[in-house]
Amino acid sequence: MDRYLDTFGRWFLTPLLLALVSFIFYFILRKAGLRQRQATGFALITPWIVGFLIFTAYPLIYSLYLSFTEYSLFGEPRWVGLDNYIRLFTQSVEFWPSVRLTLLYAALTLPIGVTGALLMAILLNNKIKGIGIYRTIYYLPAILPEVAVALLWRWMFNSESGLLNYVLKPLFSLFGVDKPNWFGDPDYVLPAFIIMSVWGIFGTNTVIFLAGLQGIPKNLYEAAEIDGAGPIRKFWHITIPQLSPIIFLQVIMGMISALQIFTVAMFVRPTSAAGKFMNQLVYEKGFTQLHMGEASAIAWVLFILILILTLLVFRSSPAWVHYESEVKR
Amino acid sequence: MKKRTNLLKICFVYIVVSYFAFVILIPFFWMLSTALKPEGDIFAWPPDWIPDPPQWHNFVDAWKAVPFNKYLLNSIFIVVLGMTAEIASATLVAYGFARFQFPGRDIIFFILLATMMLPYHVTLIPTFLIWQKFGLVGEFDPLVLRAWTAWGPFYIFLLRQFFMRIPRELDEAAEIDGATPLQTFFYILMPQIKPALIAVAIFTFMGYWNDFLGPLIYLNDKESYTMTQGIYFFLGGVNEQPKWNYLMAMSLVIALPVLLLYFLAQRYFIQGITFTGMKE
Repeated sequence: MDRYLDTFGRWFLTPLLLALVSFIFYFILRKAGLRQRQATGFALITPWIVGFLIFTAYPLIYSLYLSFTEYSLFGEPRWVGLDNYIRLFTQSVEFWPSVRLTLLYAALTLPIGVTGALLMAILLNNKIKGIGIYRTIYYLPAILPEVAVALLWRWMFNSESGLLNYVLKPLFSLFGVDKPNWFGDPDYVLPAFIIMSVWGIFGTNTVIFLAGLQGIPKNLYEAAEIDGAGPIRKFWHITIPQLSPIIFLQVIMGMISALQIFTVAMFVRPTSAAGKFMNQLVYEKGFTQLHMGEASAIAWVLFILILILTLLVFRSSPAWVHYESEVKR
Repeated sequence: MKKRTNLLKICFVYIVVSYFAFVILIPFFWMLSTALKPEGDIFAWPPDWIPDPPQWHNFVDAWKAVPFNKYLLNSIFIVVLGMTAEIASATLVAYGFARFQFPGRDIIFFILLATMMLPYHVTLIPTFLIWQKFGLVGEFDPLVLRAWTAWGPFYIFLLRQFFMRIPRELDEAAEIDGATPLQTFFYILMPQIKPALIAVAIFTFMGYWNDFLGPLIYLNDKESYTMTQGIYFFLGGVNEQPKWNYLMAMSLVIALPVLLLYFLAQRYFIQGITFTGMKE
């Protein structure tokens, strides 16, 4: 009971402290010559700024520093220069397979998830009856806790008594292959993860694309029909360009979250021969083996990877993302 | 002629759409079916679709096998504190971004959006070290105190978009009548953004209730485990078979509040995700 009360007390005091910081900030800004509304605006966003400085900016810089040190939580971090990175790049047996697995997973999950959801949204957009029921069902996996998704699929993929192998049995015997051991076989781990993830993210993307489709002005299609455009032309010249800003956003967000896969992998516990995702490596190096320096280095490599890939997608966007305002120019 | 192709097309659409709905639902059915099986039936081959008789007591047994009463209390404690703090702070911050002009505002907002790209694991270790310095690792604090600093950029973004839709004249009228910014906020704007507040409430609830990494890092004492950590016990050791019926039963129990919320407030779910997914 004490434990709850202690935390509750500190939880109750925190906003008062933040409010105090806001007020001080407000008066300093007023003294510095800002108008009342300007200072109020600053004061209102102060909680976020404080959180950003303490829990984002400082940890970001500190983890970069840690990545050049050796630190086991005891004593002080010891500066080792580029050792962690050199060891990762040249000696570690786990690192490159982990990068490969993470990148492959993202590269395969993302296109399947996005195009599949897009096609499904287009089908659902046919003014069919009971669209609400379908939307409810499609979105269902997305609200299931990640832990439950992972456990459910680990069980579905169970090689001996899993449902998937049972359902697919005729297919396996047709091709004369043994039923796969999915998460227990390094060759099948990746496909298993992809099936699991696509099942999970499919619905969210479908619902978003569906809303996007419903927002496309009808007169665009009518005009195209008068010009004699068929369904395929309409799809490529109206639907895709109109939807491209949404697709763009989904690709970015989907990529960032796919590269950060962690919880499901922890619960699925795939065979160690298949390698580990980068975030799993960060957790294991840091919190089970207490190599905080090496763990930080891996986290930074992942961060840089995400930055580069995001930048590439952004760079590519003028070629395929269509914004209304450009037409008006 | 045209009518017939249309009919064919609609039939095709229904078949495909229903087929995928079916594919999506089967795992859910399998989950429930496994949860209701007796121990000896789990690995039956061919699998039993409908357990006979359904072992409803599996739910009770699983709940009692691990101190889930305590874990439920811990989870509720974290969810309530985290949600309250998150909603309150995110709303105020969003209000600041949406309704006030101040130097550097757009740059700060851009930085806020950019933090969405930052992998959680990059800041994980230093954040852990901060809480360790405070001596609060093992307590609930690391999971709930930070919520006061509005740390979900998505929520701020969603709320800001809603604030910006409200006509400026409303605030101005209130201000002419002598309302302070905080009064305008509580009496004029809050009622207008209710759908967004509900969406944020739902998403923060899911965030805290489903969280696994946070408790994994910070709650190392079995007394303070949450529901998601409690499930871990049924996974068994290295050479042990997981207790699949209990695992599925507890997964369903954990999913239940979220599922209920989804069926009760679906409109806000859909509104929330389409809104954040579509706006630049």
